[in-house]
This record gives sequence, C-alpha cells and structure tokens, in this order.
Amino acid sequence: MPVLLCVGLSHKQVPIAVREQLAVSVEELPGRLARLRTLPGVREAMLLSTCNRLEVFAVAEARTAADDLLRDLGNLAAEHAITRFEDDALLHLFRVTASLDSMVVGEAQIQGQVKEAHARAQEAGACGAALTRVLSAALSAAKRVRTETAIARGAVSISSVAVQMAHKVLGDLSGRAVLLVGAGEMAQLAARELHAGGASQVLVANRSSSAAEALAKEVSGIAVGLQELPALLERADVVLCSTAAQQPIVTRELVGRVLKARRYRPLFLIDLALPRNIDPGANALENVYVYDLDDLERVAAQNRELREQEVQRAEAIVREEITAYARAKQERAAVPVLARLRQQAQALADAEVERTLSLLGPLNDRQQKSIRSMAGAIVNKLLHGPTARLRGEQGGPLADAAAELFGIQDAGQDADAAHGPSAEPATDAERGPGADVLPITGRK
Amino acid sequence: MATILVHIALLAYAAAAAAYLTWLVRPREWLVHAGRALLLVGLVLHLGSFAAGLSLSQGEGLARVGFGSDAWKGGQLFSLLAAATVAGYLALDLRYRLPVAGAFVATFTVAVMVPAHLVHGGTRAIAPALTHSTALAVHVFAAAAGTAALALAFALSLLYLAGEKQLKSKHPGRLFARLPSLELIDRVGWHLSVWGFVFLSVAIATGSFVSQESSGSAFPIAPKEGFAILAWALLAGMIQARLVAGWRGRRLALLVVAGFLLLVGTYAGLLAAPQKVASAAAALFAPGRS
Repeated sequence: MPVLLCVGLSHKQVPIAVREQLAVSVEELPGRLARLRTLPGVREAMLLSTCNRLEVFAVAEARTAADDLLRDLGNLAAEHAITRFEDDALLHLFRVTASLDSMVVGEAQIQGQVKEAHARAQEAGACGAALTRVLSAALSAAKRVRTETAIARGAVSISSVAVQMAHKVLGDLSGRAVLLVGAGEMAQLAARELHAGGASQVLVANRSSSAAEALAKEVSGIAVGLQELPALLERADVVLCSTAAQQPIVTRELVGRVLKARRYRPLFLIDLALPRNIDPGANALENVYVYDLDDLERVAAQNRELREQEVQRAEAIVREEITAYARAKQERAAVPVLARLRQQAQALADAEVERTLSLLGPLNDRQQKSIRSMAGAIVNKLLHGPTARLRGEQGGPLADAAAELFGIQDAGQDADAAHGPSAEPATDAERGPGADVLPITGRK
Repeated sequence: MATILVHIALLAYAAAAAAYLTWLVRPREWLVHAGRALLLVGLVLHLGSFAAGLSLSQGEGLARVGFGSDAWKGGQLFSLLAAATVAGYLALDLRYRLPVAGAFVATFTVAVMVPAHLVHGGTRAIAPALTHSTALAVHVFAAAAGTAALALAFALSLLYLAGEKQLKSKHPGRLFARLPSLELIDRVGWHLSVWGFVFLSVAIATGSFVSQESSGSAFPIAPKEGFAILAWALLAGMIQARLVAGWRGRRLALLVVAGFLLLVGTYAGLLAAPQKVASAAAALFAPGRS
C-alpha cells in the first residue's frame, strides 16, 4: 500500500549554521529531484528547501523508502532529520503550508515556497497526481487559515512594524517623502521597505556627503546635507534616524518649529539609534508620532502574541481540512467499486436477457425493449440500496466488504503500480481503488 | 404597508449593527459583508416605505410620505435622518471601505429610529401657509442631509481620537488593526464636515423662511434654533481654521465632535417640544390632517 512520507529537518532541529550547509540552490534542484525519482520504491517526490527547512515529501511503495530518502539527504542531514509517515506526514505538510511550523508563525512566504517546490517537482517529472492532490488540499487549508484567522496580521519585525505604523498614520505612502538620517542597517532596511511600500522619495542625510551619496545609491534615494535638517523636516513625512550622535539631533523645539510651517501635516519619526537621536518629548506634539526601538519592539511582541493566540484556531482549521481531504479520498475510493459492481450486474442482466429472448422466439422491437427495460430496472432497484450506502459511508471498510462479497477483482492496484508520475491515469475509475495512494483513515 | 416596511428596515439595521459590533470583537470578513448587505436591505425597505407613503398621498405630494401610520407621524424627521445617514455611509464605504465606521452608523441608525417610534405627533396645528411650502421641504431635507453628514463626520472623529490615542500611547489595542489610517479618517471627516456645514446653512436659511411664514418671526428665540446657530458658528470657525491656519487632526476632530453634539441639542430641543416636531414633521408629511 503506497504511503506518504516526509523526511527532513527544520529550524526546530538544527541551527542556521547547519541549515546553510544543507540548503539546495535553484540550480541544484532539478538534479536532486531527478535523483529522488530514481530511488527504489519512490513514486513521487517534492523537495522543499527554504532558509528554515529542508524536507522531502514523497509517495512511496513502502515505509522502507524513507531510509533511501534519508541517505540521499546526506550524512549531516541524516544525523538530525526527522521521518514522518502517513497521517503524521500529512499533518506536517498541512501545518508547514499553513505557516504553523514556521519560525515566525503566520509568515506569508511559505505558501509561495511550497507552490514553487511543487512546480519544480512537476517540471522535473517527479510529482504526480497523488502528491499534487494532497498539496492542493494543504494549500487550500493554508488559504483558509490566512483568511479566517488573524495569524498573519500585524508586523513582527522592527522594520516592518515601522512601515506598518507609517501606514497607520499616513495611509497610502505614494507621494510621501522619507528622510533617512544616518547609516544604520535597520534604518536602511526600513527605508527600503517604505520605498517599496510606495514612498516616492527617499532623502538621505549624513554627516559626510560622500557617505550620504553612497547610501543614497543603495536605497535609490537622493543625498542631502545634514545641515539642512530643519528644511528637510518640513518636507519629509517619515523620518528614520540612526546616527551615532550622543545627543538628540531632532529636538522637541525643532519639531515644534517646523510643525507650523508644515501646516500640521502629520510627521512620523522613527528612532532606530542608541542612544536615541529623537527627543521622545516630541511625541507630545500634535500630529507628531515618535517611535523608538523599544516602542517598535513592544508592538512587534504584541503582534507576535496575537498571532500565538490564533494558533489554536488555525490548528482546528487544519484538522478540519485534513478530515475533509480524507473524506474526499474515501469517496473517490468508493467510486471504482460502485462502477465495477454495476458493470458486473448489468453484464449478468444482459446475458440473461439475451438467453430469455432466444428461448421466447421471435418478438417485435417493442416487446424486446420491454424485456430489456425490465432487466435494467431490476438491476437499478437491486443496486440502489448498496449504492446509496457505499456513497453515504464514503467507501472505506464497506467498499472493501462490497468488493469481497460480490467478488469484484481489485484490478486498479495492478494498474496503479504501473502509473508513475509520468504515466498519469486519466480518471479515478481508471485508477482503481488503490490509486489514491495516501492511506488516510478518515479521522472525524 | 409603509409601516411594515419601516419595521422590517429597523430590524435589518439592528441586525447590521449586531454584525458590525460582532466584527469588532471577532474580525470575520463575512460579518462585514453581512452588515453591509443588511444596511443596504434596510435602506431599500426604508426608501420603499417612503415610496409607499407617496403612493398613498392622493395628490398631497410629500404630505403623506412616511409610514402611513399615525403612531409614526412625529418621528418622520428622525426616520429621514436615519435613511440619509445609512445612504451616506454606504456611499462612503463603497469608496473607502470603512467597516469600523459601519459599527457606529448602524448603531446610530437604530438609536435614531427608536425615537422615531416613540415620538408621537399628537398636535399638528399647521399654519395653512405651510401646507405646500417648498421652503419647508428644502429645510427638512437639508437638515436631514446635514445632520447625516455631520453624524458620519462625528463617527470618524471619534475613530480618529481613538486611533491617535493608541498611536501616541504606543500600546495599540485589539481594535487598532481594524482602524483605517489617521490620514484617511481626517480627510474623509473634513469633506463630510464641509458638506454638513453647507446643508446646515441651507437648513438654517430655509428654516427662517418657514418660521417667518408660520409665526411671522424669521429668528425666533428657542433652544432648537439656538443650538443650530451655535453648531453652525462652530463649524464655520472650524472650516476657517483648517483653510487659513492648516488645523487638522485632533483639533479638528474635537471641533466636529462639539459641533455634532450641539446639533444633537437641536434635536433634543425638538424632542422637548413635541408640538415642534409635529409642526415640522406633520406639516411636511401630513398637511390637511387635523
């Protein structure tokens, strides 16, 4: 019976120093996928390599294929890797895709990374219908988690909180000017994010004009002199400070003076320096908002806490989606049994009709049609109950019992064994009951 | 028929208020869709009740617009105000997506519609000159539109003050994520205040005509008129401060709140003198009835 496997490691098992040695680059990926395909017993495989994890999701003939997958990951990875089978592997895939297993719970990139890994596996011919189906269900669960919970709401890094707060004050950033004072790394990052968020102009002020120009190039901004600070404060909507100055360079008095000249337009001041560059007293001025590192970190922590509170609801959605996936899988499994049962009964009826017609002698078309209709009606009425029950029970043990009772040959499994990722069966009926390889027991 | 329609509309508004208020606590997108749809349904039924009143007017024009029920006559002004507020909000929501303001508007609408139930126009002694007065019709509609615009501006001002407080305190609460940007609230609130001021000016000007026609005095000394003039003066000052000195944000929000509360005083003046309600509402909606 085919099984779903997951072999790999993540930020939970190993530090970044190990993960960076194991990361698989985009260039290496096709080769690695091709190698996975050739492993004995591995029908389908997908390799998910991100900065936080290296994991192989595979559909294999048996659990023993996990050892080959582990060996393929290499000795270093094998030392730390975790192997998950069937329901555990399925749950892990759903949780990873829904960003519940991420370092920053609720981060948005993982869904794109899973989609990308799937696309690469398909391109390499390593991914078939079974893995595609389970990935599609995982992505749909992830979408529900994102839309129905607040797990992805609120920024959780300092720079993204700064951008989020700027949006809260100023709304749309298009047409806004950002003033970057100093060359701190975090301020540069925030300036870039603000620029990407729509800010039309980034002004870079530094004590040395050459440093300002170099930095301006890096953040696609315009270099300006620090001595023009009062005039720049009149112009800017967001100010990011990260200089090494020991005294505040943006004082409450200075901001108070420029405020009138700005006609009270809101001013968002972000202080990313230690010691602080902006007088915190300026926050008391009307339409002026001052956030320092502690303030931003406090908001980030609050957002993280909020996300954590949503985890339980997200986990419940994942469980619901896994149950729905299992039910759909069992329904699909019941369809071939029903089809063969009906086919067998109809064949018997047809044979009996032909025998009866030959015994009765010459009959006109209408009489022959009546006899055929009667035989069809008997088959339909006889199978109506079992059909309804099989559909209602969504296959499972009842489907197996029906197959056993009516002597229906499970030809599907033989056919499925021949179907690799490159020999895709056309329909579920054609694939047979064993074709949908993931052995979910349908927990409710 | 009109009475049934307006009762169903009130139920729809109440359900919308429940949906929006629940959304504030549990942010599910479907609650916003439900609230919006319920407000729309309520508004359509509400306008339908006006249309039904018109169809029964038997040549009296606007005389019987409303609810076709004596119990409702005195509250027609409030009903009109509620409908104008909902219509204004839905138009705003279409442009800016402001579900958090919907929580206020739906609740406000219910709060306005309930007095519409309670106020009875028992006395409707109307000067014959007002029976088909255009000035009165313009006065009532301008007053309703102006109050609706200022009610929305008031709601946005409260949101502004709440958002600003959270940003200044650096402890954003649970509602913070639901609040739109301060800049958007300020801008939309400003536009609404200006429209409110314009309608209020028209209402006051036409009101003096109506008063002249009915009582012979263009500027009667009464709480209702006094509050209206004070609100108008405050809003005029606010507009001047914004245009000349560039005031915005918190100061402007506080002025809008004060202006709207003065306007509420005008309506409180109406409630305190039921015969005034009757003279305004019944004259518009039921002239000719004793």
